[in-house]
Amino acid sequence: MNTQKLNTSPRIKRETKNKIRVEFERTPFLERMKARFGTTYFAQRVVWYVFRFVLLLGISYVILFPFFAKISGSFMSPNDFVDVTVRLIPKYPTFDIYRAIFVEQQYMKAFMNTALLSVSTALIQTFICSVVGYGFAKFKFKGNTLLFLAVVLTMIIPHGTLQFALFMKFRYFDVFGLMRLISGQTLTLTNTFWPLILMSLFGLAFKNGLYIFMMRQFYRGVPDELEESAYVDGSGVFRTFIQIILPLSVPMMITIFLFSFSWQWTDDFYTTLFFTTTRTVLMPTIVGIPNSLQTNYAGQNLYYAAINSTCGLMIIAPLIIVYLFCQKFLVQGIERSGIIG
Amino acid sequence: MNNAKTTTAVKKSNSKSAPKRKRIASLDKRKARAGWFFVLPFAVGFIAIYLPIIWDSIWLSFNHFKTNRGGGGFTLTFVGWENYRNALFVDPNFVRTLVSGIQQLIFDIPAIVIFSLFVAVLLNQKMLGRAAFRAIFFIPVILSTGLIESIDARNTMLSYMGDEMGGIESGSGQNAAAQIVSALDVERLFANMKVGTEIVDYVVSAINSIYDIVNRSGVQMLIFLAGLQSISPAIYESCQIEGATAWETFWKITFPMISPMILVNAVYTIIDSFTTEANVVMSYIQNEVYTQANGQVISAAMSWMYFLLVIIILAVFAAIASAFVFYQRRDH
Repeated sequence: MNTQKLNTSPRIKRETKNKIRVEFERTPFLERMKARFGTTYFAQRVVWYVFRFVLLLGISYVILFPFFAKISGSFMSPNDFVDVTVRLIPKYPTFDIYRAIFVEQQYMKAFMNTALLSVSTALIQTFICSVVGYGFAKFKFKGNTLLFLAVVLTMIIPHGTLQFALFMKFRYFDVFGLMRLISGQTLTLTNTFWPLILMSLFGLAFKNGLYIFMMRQFYRGVPDELEESAYVDGSGVFRTFIQIILPLSVPMMITIFLFSFSWQWTDDFYTTLFFTTTRTVLMPTIVGIPNSLQTNYAGQNLYYAAINSTCGLMIIAPLIIVYLFCQKFLVQGIERSGIIG
Repeated sequence: MNNAKTTTAVKKSNSKSAPKRKRIASLDKRKARAGWFFVLPFAVGFIAIYLPIIWDSIWLSFNHFKTNRGGGGFTLTFVGWENYRNALFVDPNFVRTLVSGIQQLIFDIPAIVIFSLFVAVLLNQKMLGRAAFRAIFFIPVILSTGLIESIDARNTMLSYMGDEMGGIESGSGQNAAAQIVSALDVERLFANMKVGTEIVDYVVSAINSIYDIVNRSGVQMLIFLAGLQSISPAIYESCQIEGATAWETFWKITFPMISPMILVNAVYTIIDSFTTEANVVMSYIQNEVYTQANGQVISAAMSWMYFLLVIIILAVFAAIASAFVFYQRRDH
């Protein structure tokens, strides 16, 4: 039936010299809509669309809910925790927990120290990993594959396995017994930033193997012609790297900087390992119950948990802000690095 | 011909004025030298710091450790396999923890890989709010690591209190997950389908630990996404023209093309699970350092055993998986 209608050839009228008018019978609106929306194909699409959306929304809820719960809990007073009617919105909201963490737990001090540590190690790691990654990606030299195996080795041996040896290494720091030869005793580097900075300098810190790998994959995607043309123009290897390759890899470096920065920021393995005293106030030290909030009240457990969660919230607050602005780099970074290649 | 001539010419000139002539390295050699220079930081660090640390760690695990009182320093006495024997036969909990840790690892790998593949396929389709969903799914990678994870882990005692609070105050979100899907419903569903109880148990426990799985599959999801985007759309187009359904397209095209990524992700998951706070064995070992006498060296012994076990699993898994992985032949 439909075909009959369509077969009626359109009438062409000449209006003026350069203008024609084509008249044809359009299929009625209802039928057109029916053909478009009335099919099982469309129904399947809609069902799938709704199902997918609900599913993703549900998983997002699972991810985000703890944050909402923590935020609402951080404004509650002990009274709220014994009140059964209180769910997410506190009846007696206070800023007590925030105030206590700021004043008694020395939040600002921890913030400054951790910021200094994280920024410095992340900067070093970003630079070193791109240099090393470039070396692996673009140069063929003896021991190339062997050394890359070493990178893989640092990736797969967890630092948890080495923790005591790591501690001993930096507690009695010595390179091949040279220190002892020169000054007669070993250096004590614990409770300073040096262990982490040294490890970053040599590309051995947390997940640096992964960063080197990512940078290597990224540089492999950079066409060789770029460097060759620079060499032809008389630029040396290092000048080419600094003036041509580095500016090119800024987005990738931002990704790696963000990774190492945020993982150092929330790290508690290295900080508790290398900082044995609490003299240097870092983020892990502020987690605890402030003295003024000690209570033997009925809702004690919940209240303490809320305080701990609030500590966690305040620790990641700067990261949330960073994430809001930079998530593009993080999400695209891994895709761009072409780990797949 | 030409080449041969020039080389002989060079040889002649060389033999004539060999001692005077300054040798210029070929471009390849110079580049190789530059390459060494680039990787120098890592090479130096690896030889000067990392290898000694590994050696120390292994050496310590064969020793008895004692800090000297007053004077500082420490003394080591070689005891052979004693630490290992202690860990395996004297310590009542280690073997049990080890077994449950390995079980958990074997349980986690398929759950995380399947979940992240599923989500990546979903997020690869065009839809409303795709960028927002991607951002949300990546949050745990940045925000739920290290310190936050350990705070949350300590808060799990709250799940007992969860009932009276309606699950609101548990920072771990486990109750939130339980509210979405009741394990009982799933069990009923599978009982009707008459599949083995093992699968039912697996699915139920996977759903119960959905928060943990979601939290740990961020990077894997991105790797899958990158892999999916590298599949040429032309293949899908021709599939559509041939009349393949979405289901067929997934199993005949997407799955084989993504299979190298599955291997990569499984390996990444295994390695990554070493460092998470949720890892029972690692947290047990780390506790050991601070609680037991002589715990430092025993923990070293324990973690080397655990590491070896996991590496064996990794090797076996990689060997099996690589037989099934499909590599598209590429020019480069």
